Amino acid sequence: MTQILRGLSPMKNPVQRNRILIILILSLASLGANLFGMIAGVTIVLSHLLYFPVILASYWFPRRGIAFSVIITALYGLLIAFFGPDEQLLDILSLSRIAMLIIIGTVVALLARNLAQSEQQLHDIIEFLPDATYAVDKQGKIIAWNRAVEEMTGKMKSSMLGKDQTDVARIFCGEDRPMLSSLVIRGEKISPVIYPEIRQESGKLVAERYLPNFSAGRGVHLRLSATALVDAGGNVTGAIESIRDVTDQVMMQEALENANHRLNTLSGILRHDLSRRLAVLYGHLRLGVMKFNDPEVITFIAGIKEAANSIMRQIEISREYRDIGATQPTWIPVQDAFQSAAGRIEIGPVIFHAWTERLEVFSDPHLSTVFYHILHNSVKSETGASRIIATYRICPEGCAIIIEDNGKGIAEPQKASLFVQREDSYGRGLFLANEILSITGMTIRETGIPGQGARFEIRIPSEGYRVEGMY
Amino acid sequence: MAQDGLPDQQFDRTGARGIPGEYLVVKELVVSEFPLADALWKDYHETTGDPAKDRIFGAFFQGDLVSLARCRRHDGGFEVDGIWTPPPHRNKGYSRMAVGALIEACHNDDLYMYAVSHLTGFYARFGFLPIPEKDLPDPVRERYTWAAGNLEGAEVLPMVRRAGIGAIFVRPLTQ
Repeated sequence: MTQILRGLSPMKNPVQRNRILIILILSLASLGANLFGMIAGVTIVLSHLLYFPVILASYWFPRRGIAFSVIITALYGLLIAFFGPDEQLLDILSLSRIAMLIIIGTVVALLARNLAQSEQQLHDIIEFLPDATYAVDKQGKIIAWNRAVEEMTGKMKSSMLGKDQTDVARIFCGEDRPMLSSLVIRGEKISPVIYPEIRQESGKLVAERYLPNFSAGRGVHLRLSATALVDAGGNVTGAIESIRDVTDQVMMQEALENANHRLNTLSGILRHDLSRRLAVLYGHLRLGVMKFNDPEVITFIAGIKEAANSIMRQIEISREYRDIGATQPTWIPVQDAFQSAAGRIEIGPVIFHAWTERLEVFSDPHLSTVFYHILHNSVKSETGASRIIATYRICPEGCAIIIEDNGKGIAEPQKASLFVQREDSYGRGLFLANEILSITGMTIRETGIPGQGARFEIRIPSEGYRVEGMY
Repeated sequence: MAQDGLPDQQFDRTGARGIPGEYLVVKELVVSEFPLADALWKDYHETTGDPAKDRIFGAFFQGDLVSLARCRRHDGGFEVDGIWTPPPHRNKGYSRMAVGALIEACHNDDLYMYAVSHLTGFYARFGFLPIPEKDLPDPVRERYTWAAGNLEGAEVLPMVRRAGIGAIFVRPLTQ
């Protein structure tokens, strides 16, 4: 890779700069040696010297390689004609040498042309990468500098090739500091002072930086990623680094976080106020129960209390909903989540067994909230359930966690709207459960038979579950 | 005690089901507990558990494993076997608890077994029904090829418990 990049760069080493001269000297030397040989009566071995200028010319100048081979061969033929022994002119050896020179020149020219084309393609890939990209060799000299980095820095390729990578640091940071590419080459220990969030991602070194003085002093957020260039033997021969301007994304994220924070603050205030008002309402209801004896009034008060309980539950749900997705998904032991959910519920006489000891799922950390809302629905007295079982089964598409009870089940017309947001309170918890599960690609549906019990089936994609000791 | 023989209490600290104070716990074994099962099965054809294929359910009394039941996953189906209670612990309902746990945990799949003839009534209470040997999945049937079609002589009977038969809450008749 480094060789390719170096080969394409306008910066030439002395050999590359003097290729024509070298070919000319080699051609004259080999023809001269043959002339001397013919005069001295030596007609073998020396003709092989002609392969050197033919191969080099065909390799360096593929498009003219065949023509050059023909010219050298013609000159060699002239030497034989004028200075060689008469019998050599048409002997089989001379003709075969001439043919071999042309064939070798042609083959090398074709191979070199193919090589040049693939090099050009690779060069174009780097050149037209949308991300600003540069490459350095093992000595830290810049060997590639694409158009995007030209646009980002205003520095042209012609002025950057051959310079040290410390110049790149000066352009971006305005000071001498190691770029990621130099850390990759030197294998240095990563300093968190320079790159606080530096990390390894799929073999790449990745970091984000804010450069306050860059972009005419407006400042930019950059995402840097560098990886090593290695030869066939696995030795590091250089590094390539890409730089992406992520300022818009960072600003967008900050704006969203601010908006989210404000919404959370506002909803927190509303929740707090509602809770206080509810506390007052509960107080009045308690007094009402003590003050009135009329059964009709007591029933009326019980209805109001039930409505107040629903409001309280809505407040709890909205508090939970605030935190969904705020924390990274992780592998969660399902049994622990069930245990946590069951611990939050006044389960009463209902018997609950969970058989998920070895199962873990990749989920939002609020998985126990999902189970809480499912169990909460099952333990309601109106369901008539006396037992709840939670288990799992492996299926071709992944895994299914199944939670079922022996209550009266859920009527068919209700099933379709179980997990959608609704005005009444019943479906809110399940809507929330569905939202939590969907974060990591899980789905939920109700598959019970009305009259025989509710049965909730949570489908987990195959990459989203593991069973201890099994997978 | 619930009608199915499983203790009524939901969870202890480890997530197992048991009755505090009675030191009785029924649970699915985690991988680190498989050696306990292997040790108990020493007297049961030297059976051993394989975490890659097996779900093992056990009853613990005062911290000791006293009864086992295993559900093994084959390519063509699930086989229930390894149901074993050492003689000193028998007639206390432990086996019913272990098998009940297995049924609760695995009832969403068809479960096949070779039942010892005199225990077919016990398994029938959990919903197992006798079936012709040819109806067994090949990997399960192959385990008894030595019987050469004479299962009656071997005193075993093929049985199946179908998934979705609705008996998620198994209620074997108490003796």
